Amino acid sequence: MSEDSIKRISPLISIILGLLLGYLLLLLVGYDGNSGFKYLFQGGIKGITEGKYRRIGDTLAQMTPLMLTGASVAFAFRTGLFNIGASGQMLFGGFVAVLVGITVDLPPVILPLVATLLAGVAGGLYGFLPGYLKAKYNIHEVVIGIMMNYVSVYLVQYLVKILIPGKYVIESAHIPKEASLKMSFISNIFRGSPLNAGFFVGVIALIVIYVILEKTTFGFELKAVGFNKDAAKYSGMKVNKNIIYSMMISGCLAGLAGATFYIGYTNHIKLGTVPTLGFDGIAVSLLGKNSPIGIFFSSFLFGYLKNGGSFMASSTDIPRELVDIVIAIIIYFSAISFVIEKFLNKLLVKMKKEGK
Amino acid sequence: MKKFITLFAMATLSTVLLASCSSKDEVVKEDKIASDEKVKDKDENKDKEKTLKVAMVTDSGTIDDKSFNQGTWEGIKKYEADHNIETQYLKPEGETTQHYMSAIHNLVDSGYEMIITPGYKFEEAIYEAQEIYPDIKFTIIDGNPHAGDYVPDIAENTSSIFYSEHEAGFYAGIVSALESNTRSLAFIGGMEMPAVQKFGWGFTAGAAYANEVYGTAAKVTDYIYEGSYDNVAGGKTLAASLYDSGVDIIFTAAGGVGVGVIDEGKTRRASGNDIWVVGVDIDQFEDGKYNNEDSVILTSAVKELGNSAYDSIDSVINGTFEGGKSLIFDSKNNGVGLSSSDEYLSEKTKEAYEVAFEKVTNGTIVVPSSVYELEAFLEDHGYTTPSGVEY
Repeated sequence: MSEDSIKRISPLISIILGLLLGYLLLLLVGYDGNSGFKYLFQGGIKGITEGKYRRIGDTLAQMTPLMLTGASVAFAFRTGLFNIGASGQMLFGGFVAVLVGITVDLPPVILPLVATLLAGVAGGLYGFLPGYLKAKYNIHEVVIGIMMNYVSVYLVQYLVKILIPGKYVIESAHIPKEASLKMSFISNIFRGSPLNAGFFVGVIALIVIYVILEKTTFGFELKAVGFNKDAAKYSGMKVNKNIIYSMMISGCLAGLAGATFYIGYTNHIKLGTVPTLGFDGIAVSLLGKNSPIGIFFSSFLFGYLKNGGSFMASSTDIPRELVDIVIAIIIYFSAISFVIEKFLNKLLVKMKKEGK
Repeated sequence: MKKFITLFAMATLSTVLLASCSSKDEVVKEDKIASDEKVKDKDENKDKEKTLKVAMVTDSGTIDDKSFNQGTWEGIKKYEADHNIETQYLKPEGETTQHYMSAIHNLVDSGYEMIITPGYKFEEAIYEAQEIYPDIKFTIIDGNPHAGDYVPDIAENTSSIFYSEHEAGFYAGIVSALESNTRSLAFIGGMEMPAVQKFGWGFTAGAAYANEVYGTAAKVTDYIYEGSYDNVAGGKTLAASLYDSGVDIIFTAAGGVGVGVIDEGKTRRASGNDIWVVGVDIDQFEDGKYNNEDSVILTSAVKELGNSAYDSIDSVINGTFEGGKSLIFDSKNNGVGLSSSDEYLSEKTKEAYEVAFEKVTNGTIVVPSSVYELEAFLEDHGYTTPSGVEY
């Protein structure tokens, strides 16, 4: 077994460990772990063999924003930055998407696409400030990111109230059907599920960042900054510029996530809360080893667990809170896969020594 | 290796800790919600009856929220204790229509045949669900399904339930007028929505009625819409200024704003002031306790959420489910009234409530349910609206 293969299998091992521990927890508390896990697994895909694609559609719909927030966090990670502000960028991007959806008059299909693109731009602009402050004054991006999340919540609340107030004070106005990313060709296949064109936005975004990171000089520079800022500077790269660009691209991805959620999954903004999906993105990106392909699969797992967890709660007498704990344990273990990786590496070294 | 062992030990320990925590939670929950069903054991006719799988989706908040969720769920549990049904509740992941929809999808996939949803927030979700699942029975409380345009569209498999809040408010008004020392009452509403407005109109009519019949000479001197359901601090401030101005009973139909009013009331009552709060929706006696025994809640104008959930399930089982329309719960079918905690009411007041309930039930009194009706009612009963009050 080589180090490379360890890197590949350690996330799998950690997922299995998480599942085991979650199962043990159910038994410990005195619930039927077998039926619980049966429904957890069924919940993500049930009906797929009978041509009912709603549940798998649900899973993919849950996965969509996570794919993008995961990519957002991962992209910043690759440049040595920790974008904890993805939630705020997502909310701000989502607000712009909803605003465009309600106020701009464009033909269907074009309108949601324009709204989505503008959401990405808005998220990118929102990511500019932490990037700029980091580059110019070396203020830590985590501090700014957290603060910018609050700013986003209250800024959006204010802007919604004066620009697009809803019927109730706690929400924005609803977007018209034409502005939604829920398109009939998808909805017809996955009848009843909220799956929308945002899924393709996510997949395309993953491909694009793969190309940027692996195939372009720009991506190489970003990664170089991430590996060693000083070395990058010494070899003539514009470190500060790259930090700002990286945060803006990261913010852009989070903004797109906002569009897929607020004009795709749902159709309005709930005021006063920051979407937790941005924070989930951190776990998604950690489990996906910051690579676009890894993020695709880890966000799928997260979506699957969310969807399956609800089904477990509705099908058994296991209380919702416990279901959430079980899923949190699985995610927790997945996210610390690097510990497993370290352990396996040590084991490998030891085995090699003994072999000699 | 050592590190790993430590890590593993910590993980196991935390699992055990978590486990013990959640199991405790579980016990508390069982005690709280299902205490009544433990007493009952399976009687024979239970097995003979048709079984039905009934589920509820919770609104924002938990199942033990001392309000809409709990009230409805207790009704479902009561039916489960009396008859042979399976029950379940599911808390949605979020508070948008889409989140409500996926909760409904999950419950249907789990085999539930009837779904009860408390609150207007479910209107659009039920509109979608009633079309997708024509074989499932839906009951929505305090709302009508619509496609986002607020035009009610109730399918054959759905019934929507509304309450005659004005009648509950009417009784609260009579009781308050009789129990008031300063003869000055106040109404605080949340937002100007029908369910809230009707409470206020009824309350004023109740005071007018008591003045005419019992010569109480009470007035609703302040009539305020706070503008939200969550401004606890605002409710507190408002209540403080009202009590200072001489009001001694405040009737509040305003969610979290009411919590602030009750808070202020508790403080004042604990320091010896003779003031009261009239609760709303469910019996708020417990919420108003400022020591082990005494509460600031004089009485509560209740909507019998549990009863309507109970009746609704019963109608599905007996095949008398009335889909496609709104059902009104009022005094006639015991859907509204005052709470059973009546220890602070004098015998005279209790009697007055009973007489009024009887009159409303048999139609002798028609409680006003709109501004116009209220104005006519007040004129008939010789009540002049204090200056500055607008209904």
